[in-house]
Amino acid sequence: MSTETIQDEQEAKRQNYSEAEKSDIFDTEFMPHVDSMYSFAYRLTFDEDDAKDLVQDTYMKAFRFINSFERGTNAKAWLFRILKNSFINEFRKKSKQPAKVDYNEVEQYYNSDDAGEKITTDLRVETVQHMIGDEVSGALNAIPVDFRTVIILSDLEGFTYEEMSKILDIPIGTVRSRLHRARNMLKEKLAEYAKEMGFNK
Amino acid sequence: MAEFSEWFKVTFEKCYCEQGNLINESKFKELVQLVLDNEADEASLEIFEEKIRTCVKSSFTFESEKSMREQIRAKLTEHQADIPNDLAQAIRKSVNL
Repeated sequence: MSTETIQDEQEAKRQNYSEAEKSDIFDTEFMPHVDSMYSFAYRLTFDEDDAKDLVQDTYMKAFRFINSFERGTNAKAWLFRILKNSFINEFRKKSKQPAKVDYNEVEQYYNSDDAGEKITTDLRVETVQHMIGDEVSGALNAIPVDFRTVIILSDLEGFTYEEMSKILDIPIGTVRSRLHRARNMLKEKLAEYAKEMGFNK
Repeated sequence: MAEFSEWFKVTFEKCYCEQGNLINESKFKELVQLVLDNEADEASLEIFEEKIRTCVKSSFTFESEKSMREQIRAKLTEHQADIPNDLAQAIRKSVNL
């Protein structure tokens, strides 16, 4: 989340928590999500130290702007949004591994009306059953980060389309279509991998 | 959920021929996704379930997509990064708590 965005929200519905309340909110509403936040950060950065830094940075921002968080609302979605924006705005720039894929190009291709028709994935459930988690994770890591993100948020973290829409700052219809394309991309990667390994005959 | 009710109707029509046979599996899989993600509204779900009961190909595609989704999710869940032991402590320290 950019500083401007956080400040805008602060202006809109600023709370006025006491120090004790801040501490309580941080412990009871924010800290329970540390594991999910780290898993998400690691799947974005592929690096333990970078993931740790990203999570710490997110929690520092969350504490700094805690008055813009309304107690009892969706803390997990709020934190994920900060983390995702930190990753995009700051972290990606100084990342040890710059993005190798032109996201706009990929999205343009997958946004074309007949993109779905072009994808003919020959992947059987039995093939996936024979794979280990490491292999499926490898396939997920091989797809562009914006597509990988929607799969993580939906399938691993259980966010609804509406929550994802807020976390990612995209319309809910785009969440649906991007998720569909992301899952097709993942299946393609799994099929490629299966072929290389000789799983698919 | 109501956001997708019109999209569902239009897409559903594209999936089937006049005889009611599934002719566009790719589009149908988009409907399956909406259902599996619990994002279809009640009316859409009713239409979908009725079709699944009466169309073998639709039912097969749905079950196949469902199994695939469960398998992928299970494999990804079993392969999670180890959380650093000192992370929670480091966070608290960084905000002086």
